[in-house]
Amino acid sequence: MPLYKQILYILWILILFGSCAQKRERPVIGISFETLQTEYWVASVEAVKAECERMGYDFIVAVANGDANRQFEQINNFISLGVSGIVIAPKDSHTVIPIIKAANRAGIPIAVYNRVPAKNTGEYVTVVADNLEISRNTVTYMCELAKASGKKHKALVVLGDLGDINAVNRREGFNQAVKAYPETIEVVAEVPSEWNQEKALSGVTNALQANPDISFIFTSSDFLFPAIVSAMKSADKYYPIGHPKHVVFGGFDGDAMAYRLLKEGYLDADGVQDVFYECEASVQAVIERLAGKSVETTIVDPGFVIHQDNFDEMSSKMWGASF
Amino acid sequence: MVSIKYYLSQNSIVGVCILYYVLMALVVPGFFGANNTWNLVYNFIPLLILAIGQTFVILTAGIDLSITSIVAVASVVGGYLMSADSGLFSSPLITVLVGITGMVLAGAIIGLINGIAVTRLRMPAFMVTLTSLMFFSGLAIWLTQSKSIYNLPTLLVDAPYKTLLGLPYPVYLAGLVYLVSYLILNKTLVGEWIYAVGTNVKTSWLSGVNITSTIVFVYIISGVCASLGAMIYTARLETGSPVMGQNVLLDVIGAVIIGGTSLFGGKGKLQWTAAGALLMTMLDNSLNLLGMSFFLIMIVKGAIILLTALFNQYQPKSLVHA
Repeated sequence: MPLYKQILYILWILILFGSCAQKRERPVIGISFETLQTEYWVASVEAVKAECERMGYDFIVAVANGDANRQFEQINNFISLGVSGIVIAPKDSHTVIPIIKAANRAGIPIAVYNRVPAKNTGEYVTVVADNLEISRNTVTYMCELAKASGKKHKALVVLGDLGDINAVNRREGFNQAVKAYPETIEVVAEVPSEWNQEKALSGVTNALQANPDISFIFTSSDFLFPAIVSAMKSADKYYPIGHPKHVVFGGFDGDAMAYRLLKEGYLDADGVQDVFYECEASVQAVIERLAGKSVETTIVDPGFVIHQDNFDEMSSKMWGASF
Repeated sequence: MVSIKYYLSQNSIVGVCILYYVLMALVVPGFFGANNTWNLVYNFIPLLILAIGQTFVILTAGIDLSITSIVAVASVVGGYLMSADSGLFSSPLITVLVGITGMVLAGAIIGLINGIAVTRLRMPAFMVTLTSLMFFSGLAIWLTQSKSIYNLPTLLVDAPYKTLLGLPYPVYLAGLVYLVSYLILNKTLVGEWIYAVGTNVKTSWLSGVNITSTIVFVYIISGVCASLGAMIYTARLETGSPVMGQNVLLDVIGAVIIGGTSLFGGKGKLQWTAAGALLMTMLDNSLNLLGMSFFLIMIVKGAIILLTALFNQYQPKSLVHA
């Protein structure tokens, strides 16, 4: 058989098969998460999926495992699939910019979940917790507890990845809160974790050895609790509220371990991001943009502080409670 | 005239690619179409360039595990030279030219170090390049203090989307890399030496092949290819990152092995590597469109690479040129 005929046959088969691929009946929303490494992200992706389902949309999920380049390729896959909208939890605030541009070029509405993109001219909706305010309120509550004890407290704060604007805002919230209590709080250790358990463990262990009189600990994320609790146990500082050796202890996120520590009386306060609200708002923003409605470019989750006094009332709103 | 049947019998991986494409066109909505075809091309190109460099090394029975660190270092070097935050040059064209030259030099120097370590220190290639991987990955992070580099020139970040005669610029870059590599492997004495070294080092040495130069050369080629891949990654993410390409190693080695190039050296073709890279790209794309999780995609890819490596182990070792 001549070569050109063989090629024509192959092309014909391709076109035939291509036209056979089943089209989805419902519109699809592409969900792209940079990682599912912590409970927060797992709870978030589940909440986004549930909201898509509730609103009558199919969804397709891609996880980039911390690789911005892979996330970029996955979003391009979504675009070529012809998704109706995209919800993305990006790797960082800069690498999301070419992704926003790609979605804009394809005319697909995009909601950026949990991280504020760096300044750019693209069209998108950002849904983000008020990290500064929530952490300031949480630490202020902890400072009030410390003040009530009548003693001066030496404080340790575990920082996140300072390339992440959320980590920067949480540190700023902590700093603003403790600044108002100079008679009660003296910050003696800032432990950079870069959102890494091992770094948090070694950093907190070293800080507790260098400053054995630390009696006030705040972490920028609850997912670091296992490392911090381990270091506190090693330093003989892990005791429930009411015990003379109890350390004023707080965190940020509202995950399952925070819920358990609050319930068992080891944790004094936790800043909670309202995952359900943020995920619903992300999907709603995409759907409303699809309908041609105008949507705020930034939707802020005010979050809340949960502590021993309001635990019974607020724990049902804490995403970690149902995890 | 060579029939398609004969061609496919000699290049089974090409047949596998066509079969996979047809199958996915049948079952995956959105896979078959102009949009996704371009998407496949965009994702395929940097992987192809990295895999071509790796093919040179594997043909000599070596392996270059350090390519991801070369991508990271090149991305950081290029990012620093080109970022408006550094403000080193005023002309955008000169900025991009200096940046690209810096990236290629960084790749070539790391390749040179790898090649010298393998030949002069007589260390196993995997040991040398694994050490390089750790050292240069750490160096990229240390140099930047984990921070990415932004504000790259528009000339660079727009390049992946600019076209010439209907084809995007990266297609020409990949075509040039492929053509030069093809000529080196098939039309030059160095190409003969590469296959000879991979087939039997002692015989090659007795035949007068310059073993040291040949091995150093393939590692330099691998380094340069990694830096060219880094250029595309950096441009399209508009970021110089110390963790750029961190997860691409499996795809690159997988593309070469799936293509049929022997891990024991001396046997392989560039077109096999191209088909292997295409298959890896299609796997990623189609499984992603099917909604499969990242972890499941990794399992599928890992299983395919393992099966192919096992299959290749029982293939006769012979001289097969590009």
